[in-house]
Amino acid sequence: MNIVIVGCGRVGAELAFRLYQRGNRVSVIDHAPSAFDNLNPDFRGHLVEGEALNRDVLMRAGIEYAAGFAAVTNSDPLNAVVANLVRNVYKIPNVVARNYDPRWRSLYEDFEIQVVSSSSWGAQRIEEMLYYPEIRCVYSAGNGEVEIYEFSIPPIWEGRRFSELVPGPECRPVAITRAGRATLPTEDHTLEPGDIAVVSGTLNGIRKLRQRLSLEES
Amino acid sequence: MFVIIVGGGTTGTQLALLLINQGHKIHIIEQRPEVLARLHRELPTEAIYEGSFIDPALLEQAGIQEANVVAATTTGDAENLAICFLARTRYKVKRTIARINDPRNAWLFDEKFHVDVALNNAEIMARLIEEEMSMGDMMMLLKLRRGEYSLVEEKIPIGARALGIAIKDLPLPENCVIAAIIRHGKIIVPRGVTILQEGDEVLAVTDSTGARKLADLFTPD
Repeated sequence: MNIVIVGCGRVGAELAFRLYQRGNRVSVIDHAPSAFDNLNPDFRGHLVEGEALNRDVLMRAGIEYAAGFAAVTNSDPLNAVVANLVRNVYKIPNVVARNYDPRWRSLYEDFEIQVVSSSSWGAQRIEEMLYYPEIRCVYSAGNGEVEIYEFSIPPIWEGRRFSELVPGPECRPVAITRAGRATLPTEDHTLEPGDIAVVSGTLNGIRKLRQRLSLEES
Repeated sequence: MFVIIVGGGTTGTQLALLLINQGHKIHIIEQRPEVLARLHRELPTEAIYEGSFIDPALLEQAGIQEANVVAATTTGDAENLAICFLARTRYKVKRTIARINDPRNAWLFDEKFHVDVALNNAEIMARLIEEEMSMGDMMMLLKLRRGEYSLVEEKIPIGARALGIAIKDLPLPENCVIAAIIRHGKIIVPRGVTILQEGDEVLAVTDSTGARKLADLFTPD
């Protein structure tokens, strides 16, 4: 797949190298030639120095033949504008932008662009780990509005039902693993210590789950 | 008219002052502290809104929903495009104007990002210089119909080809008419029989081809 990336900072360089390792042809655009120093020395791809809004620069990066495009600079207006441009003018089907400053997240909604808010996503992960070290996040849907969590059942919950532990509409049971074998939990699934529970939930749902776990413990 | 100007640099400030003098209401948004300090000396405080150019909350505070025109005059082309896009799609602003900083980005300043009018300083400058070079002493006073026609002024030098010939007999270009002559500080309304004299200042309405031929008529042999 041909992929064009705008911005060769930490995110751009990491993304470019990952895509290259999976066998994609990658072009990276940055206005500062020194930014290409961020790339892994083993990276082989097309480096284009120039401004991303300049048509010639986009052409040199092979935008006409790109199947995917990522705008990951540290300027939210630039990411939103260039992502909108390549989608509408060059009809690139798969366009993703990085939201740099969480305050301007809504800009991407106006431009109807798929967005990853790396800083707010990272902050939320760290926040969760500080609150609930024993509940691990294993998957994030969207921008982390809903996530899949994994934790082991403490002895105190032995013999109780899974549905009692999981708190209602903001948190749902997904799977239960016992002795290395996972099953889809039923309504009246009985817990055993050492079971690995998997649930999906919002941050709020997980907070309630954590309260139940600790209330029962205290 | 109520105009929101985003960007308080020299372009934004000049625009604001011009509009205020013409009796329009303006609100101006600026985020750079060093620019804000100057802005507060030049414009009334109640017109100045401090904060990020692309902050929807600040745009709303400045009254973007009621604005007749939004002018994006920041030094960032992406910012200017994003502002015009937001102004139209989110706030239904009727008219948007944007400044082009890098002429190579000029191709984006159209309906793609809902820019109604694009101001390309570099291009205007280049055109003026080009005209200055080709027109000699002729002065452009006013551009009519987006620059297709203009009102020009030229002083008749000693030995000009047009001297001593009645206007009706001058080989004037097709799209050119002499509108007035200033002689010894007085306006003379030109007739067909009027004869041009040395030192006359001639005002003419003409297109660009006509201007060049006119300049030619007024040069000494």
